[in-house]
Amino acid sequence: MRLALIGVGGAGGRVVDAIRAVEAPECRQLCDGNVLTVDISRTGSDEHDHVPRERQVTVGDTRRGVEDGAAGDQDLAVDVVRADAPEIRRALDSITMRDLNGVLVVAGLGGGTGGGAGAVLVERLQQLYDDPVYVLGVLPAADEGGHAALNAARSLRSVVPAADSTLLFDNDLWVGPDADTDERYARANRELAARTVALFARSDPGPRSIGANTIDSSDIVRTLSPGGVASVGRATTELDTGGGLLSLLRSLLPGSHGGDDSDERTDAGKIQRLVGRATNSRLTLPCEVSSVERALVVLSGPPDELSRRGFESARRWLEDETDTVEVLAGDDPRPGSSTVAATVLLSNVTAVPRIDSMQRQAVDHERTDETLRAVDEPD
Amino acid sequence: MKLATIGVGNAGSKIVDRMVEFESETNRNLCRHVHAINTARTDLAKPEYIPEEQRVLVGDTNQKSKGHGVGGDVEVGAEVMSADIDEIRRAFDDIEIHNVDAILVAAGLGGGTGSGGGPVVIDALQDMYDEPVYALGVLPGEYEGGRPALNGARSLQSFVNKVDNFIAFDNDAWRAREQTIEEGYEEMNRELASRIVTLLAAGETDETDVAENAMDSSDIIRTLAAEGVSSMGYAATAVDTQPEGLLDRWGGGTDDDSLDDASQATKIKSLVRRATNSRLTLPCGVSTAERVLVVLSGPPGEFSRKGIESARQWLEDETDTVEVLVGDDPREGSSRLAAAVLLSNVSGAQRIETLQNQAVDAQEQIAEQEAAREAKIENLITDENDDIDPVV
Ligand SMILES: Nc1nc2c(ncn2[C@@H]2O[C@H](COP(=O)(O)OP(=O)(O)OP(=O)(O)O)[C@@H](O)[C@H]2O)c(=O)[nH]1
Ligand SMILES: Nc1nc2c(ncn2[C@@H]2O[C@H](COP(=O)(O)OP(=O)(O)OP(=O)(O)O)[C@@H](O)[C@H]2O)c(=O)[nH]1
Ligand SMILES: [Mg+2]
Ligand SMILES: [Mg+2]
Repeated sequence: MRLALIGVGGAGGRVVDAIRAVEAPECRQLCDGNVLTVDISRTGSDEHDHVPRERQVTVGDTRRGVEDGAAGDQDLAVDVVRADAPEIRRALDSITMRDLNGVLVVAGLGGGTGGGAGAVLVERLQQLYDDPVYVLGVLPAADEGGHAALNAARSLRSVVPAADSTLLFDNDLWVGPDADTDERYARANRELAARTVALFARSDPGPRSIGANTIDSSDIVRTLSPGGVASVGRATTELDTGGGLLSLLRSLLPGSHGGDDSDERTDAGKIQRLVGRATNSRLTLPCEVSSVERALVVLSGPPDELSRRGFESARRWLEDETDTVEVLAGDDPRPGSSTVAATVLLSNVTAVPRIDSMQRQAVDHERTDETLRAVDEPD
Repeated sequence: MKLATIGVGNAGSKIVDRMVEFESETNRNLCRHVHAINTARTDLAKPEYIPEEQRVLVGDTNQKSKGHGVGGDVEVGAEVMSADIDEIRRAFDDIEIHNVDAILVAAGLGGGTGSGGGPVVIDALQDMYDEPVYALGVLPGEYEGGRPALNGARSLQSFVNKVDNFIAFDNDAWRAREQTIEEGYEEMNRELASRIVTLLAAGETDETDVAENAMDSSDIIRTLAAEGVSSMGYAATAVDTQPEGLLDRWGGGTDDDSLDDASQATKIKSLVRRATNSRLTLPCGVSTAERVLVVLSGPPGEFSRKGIESARQWLEDETDTVEVLVGDDPREGSSRLAAAVLLSNVSGAQRIETLQNQAVDAQEQIAEQEAAREAKIENLITDENDDIDPVV
């Protein structure tokens, strides 16, 4: 499916840049060049490698209080984008919605700009377009502190009802605590970008790569249509191409049959395990899978590796696990590929421990803030 | 008979494609007119035998589809199809109706396009033409889950009410084990295509190669006029031109003169029996059929009158109806003798019952989830004491 990509704030811009970076070499177009980054900053910047300069919009450069961003001040960020709405509107005109299926707004919800300006933008876009407006939101890690948590908790309350669906990515899980800052975000962004592209973008297929049950954009739209929060899982397995040293050694062992262990049973089991792995251990937002309202699973890989029984039992397993009858499953044949991948979309997850703890952290922070202010201004 | 054949949705189009393939491989000439209708541009690129200009993309200007299918939503499938009904009628204007005996609409009932859009297409055809309109409908497998079952159960009602006969194919019954996803469907579609084409192509030959017992399109139409839901059976055997081979195979060992004839009669009868007891496209009790039609297809030399008569008698007993027709479809030079059985208007098929139960459960569950949706989302984004305010 084709989505306009709009990155808001520092994280939003960087993730959009990372998505553009994986789109191109994989020939899986997600946005067809319909891309925009919006940031609040004193200096106009050109920091993204894969977003053309003229598609990087900076607003609020003359506003008091704006330095390198809104410095976590969501209310300031909201004011700034409202004041500069015409400029953003002009930039949006460069996007041709006619050939697109929707919009994806990407933002770090813990930031002033991402969480505040992002929320305003989502409302605006909903007024402008008939197509769905989705959000790809990054949740701050717990160790970033209470202010980021409060920002994200407030932002969720605005963004989730306004967006057609909000896909979340939890930095707490995906960003390592001790590595060098730039690189650890870069790694997380690559992972998030790869999933986003795997889920939404299909390569323009030749007849050989049209699946028996191709997942089309309408399937994704329908899966996401309950709204709420969504999580994306993905797992891949490298195929043993048979030429490896290990399989050679194995074939020399007494009683072996040339290392041929890829009978039908293992194929089916392999696929089921893969989908299990994608669902249970590798979600962008860890959640209670049983709280899901709709799910979708796409299996991609060389057609010869996509076992029908594995596909069926994986689908059924997902239906049991999510406790919903709304599970769409599709195949995405990639002749010549050396990996089999399962991508799982869990839509409208409503039991998310991480959001609960973030809300507690936010409330604690707000209370401390109030106490401090009370101390500051004794009447 | 001569057909106009229309595939709706992905499954429907693939099946029609395989029918045309089977025809051309076996030198039959059943489908005088084909169309594939779909809401998904990608799926329409897949057929190999349906000419480009016979593929109709509907709903490409519809906001909910835009040429990308309808996401398994029957309502949207019906809506999109109705919105483009004029375009579809224009496409159907091309059918040279004097040149066809009936119209067949193929569709999978578990998705959105075939399931929701199929009945809309059938309405248009019934309205435009006096010829009977039949459906070739695929029931989703139980393993496909609740939503396809709900789509299927709902759609089945519409189809059966609107068509002159609904010929069913149960994906559950035809699931094989050691296959890839692609092979699985391909194999099912080929099995289905060989059955429906063998059955309906009888009596279609324009040449006057008329055998004494030749099936006529009016026989087929009469059998299908029973309405309701039907099922098909099939069996085939290689035809050996060597008499010794026949003897060996049929276990006869004497030099009796009438042996050839007797063994040919046995062969026919046992083939028909095998076809009747074969895995049916919709498993059901054979005795529940209201009317039965058998087409024997193969080299005319194989058609033993005696065999046909005793096959008919056996079927009458077996199905407990006198409305049994057995006819032949001579295919000079064919190396196979095939029997295709149509059990018209059967009842009590187990799969339809389980499908309906599965659908009822699914419907309840979907309704529950929908009812709780707003509150659950609200609860997720609100902290325990509602202390946190939205940002805008
Ligand atoms: N995954 C990921 N998260 C990031 C990245 N950069 C920042 N974040 C997260 O996003 C939140 C917001 O940071 P920024 O995006 O820099 O903030 P902003 O939206 O620009 O807002 P202000 O600068 O405060 O106006 C942070 O609290 C982090 O949790 C990134 O590159 N990748
Ligand atoms: N026998 C058979 N059944 C199929 C095949 N493809 C799909 N099905 C079945 O048909 C049902 C409907 O699937 P599709 O035909 O792909 O759906 P559609 O009608 O195109 O509708 P949407 O995809 O929702 O737009 C599924 O639930 C399957 O049960 C096939 O090639 N052969
Ligand atoms: Mg910033
Ligand atoms: Mg489809």
